[in-house]
Amino acid sequence: MKAVRWAKEHLLPWGLFLAGWEILSRLFPIPSSVRILGLVWANMTDPGFISALASSLGRMAVGFAAVILLGIGLGILLGRYRALDNIFGTLASALNAMPGAAWVPLAIFLFGLNQKAVIFTIVLGATGIVMLNTSFGIKDVPPLLVRAARTMGAEGPKLFWHVILPAATPRIIDGLRLAWAFGWRALMAGELLVGSVRGMGQLLSVVAKEGNIEQLLAYMGILALVGMTVDGIIFNRLIGDRLRARWGTA
Amino acid sequence: MLVQLENVTKRFTQNNGDEMDVLKNISLEIAEGEFICVVGPSGCGKSTLLYLIAGLEKPTSGRVRVEGVPVAGPGTDRVMVFQEAALFPWLNVRQNVEFGLKIAGSTPEEKQRRVEKYLKMVHLGRFAGAHPHQLSGGMKQRVAIARALVMDPKILLMDEPFAALDAQTRRLLQDELVGIWKQTRKTILFVTHNVREATALGDKVLEMSARPGRIKKGYAIHLPKPRREADPHLIVIQQRILLSLQEEIAKVAKDEDMDYLIKEEASPLFDKPAVGGAL
Repeated sequence: MKAVRWAKEHLLPWGLFLAGWEILSRLFPIPSSVRILGLVWANMTDPGFISALASSLGRMAVGFAAVILLGIGLGILLGRYRALDNIFGTLASALNAMPGAAWVPLAIFLFGLNQKAVIFTIVLGATGIVMLNTSFGIKDVPPLLVRAARTMGAEGPKLFWHVILPAATPRIIDGLRLAWAFGWRALMAGELLVGSVRGMGQLLSVVAKEGNIEQLLAYMGILALVGMTVDGIIFNRLIGDRLRARWGTA
Repeated sequence: MLVQLENVTKRFTQNNGDEMDVLKNISLEIAEGEFICVVGPSGCGKSTLLYLIAGLEKPTSGRVRVEGVPVAGPGTDRVMVFQEAALFPWLNVRQNVEFGLKIAGSTPEEKQRRVEKYLKMVHLGRFAGAHPHQLSGGMKQRVAIARALVMDPKILLMDEPFAALDAQTRRLLQDELVGIWKQTRKTILFVTHNVREATALGDKVLEMSARPGRIKKGYAIHLPKPRREADPHLIVIQQRILLSLQEEIAKVAKDEDMDYLIKEEASPLFDKPAVGGAL
């Protein structure tokens, strides 16, 4: 029954959407959804494509690792030290307000047309949100929990490690989830504008120049699929469900 | 004396810049094993009194000493239980109870032994794996009490721990607390605004006056526990405390421009004691 419901909620709308699209493509000069799906499948089994996707994902992994370290580290400093927050808090907000793609020209100026520029774009595009969420998470820890912990002997680093950081964790995870989405966008912006590094961005611009719209849409579909998979499986299922089960939040 | 307060004054600066004495010249001694209840109108500084002993606040003047040593900050010899259970939502019941021992770096055997003992004492052995959001209000408070007892504190500071519970659960937890006190003979300082609760639990009930908070009167209650709710002696003491508290409540109301609420004939109950005469 569960499988039936799942199919009804997830497969049915997609099936209807793609079928409707396919019918339209027979009547009007637009790309065919069936052919695009075929291309998606063909791509996924094409070693050349997989290696391009892998190099994009590799860049994303390096950038996101830096985002985690920098974002949480700096966020902790802002959350813990009011003086730092007073000076750098608005800077963090400004960083967060900046569209990721806006960093690409500076990245190219600094690093040239290579993957360092792309990684720089990811880091600058996604660190701000982690920083802000971490610092807000830490500042919003209920004072009552801190008082209770202090009367049980927790002070200084132990208080931070055993109470403040765990209490701030849901907010930090929210920040990381948004950062993944921001970073994924920044990655594409970087790859498209840098142009010369192998990866999904390069594939997109090549097929667009060739006018191969069906392949372009197939690539875009795969990009959405990968983004959704990481968000849905890693952030929502693996981490989110576990946090919700513990905290009892909906 | 286990705890001594000498001429303790606590002054807070209010939002409008005015200074207010929340507590003024409080002197108090608590002997080992005593169960003391503090009652008073809201805003009389009863919680602040606990915070000072807990070391979460520092007195503006005067001294707070525990076993003769001035209180410099929080310590596990003075663990506090709050009105909201303040459990750590990311830890299950066992881990919450274990918290202070983990901070203290106890051995696994020690942790196991003490957590089992106190979980059993509060009748939550079966819920060791549950998370706080799965517990009822009463269960949460029992976890909070176990979490405090596990540290084997010299004094348990309880800040209206049952105030947010429904009447039945409150009675149940009062009985349980009496049971725990009989088993452990812990020194307990218990703040409440509920006079019936104070007389049910305390060997001594301290009544506080409002603004500035002072200790107005003390009532000794030499009745064995658990006490019968309908015990005429208790009712007489309750009435005396209530009568005295009325003045304080009227004072607070006047401060807050609500004196129109207090009428002379408001409470005929208090005029003539329901159970004849003095103690």
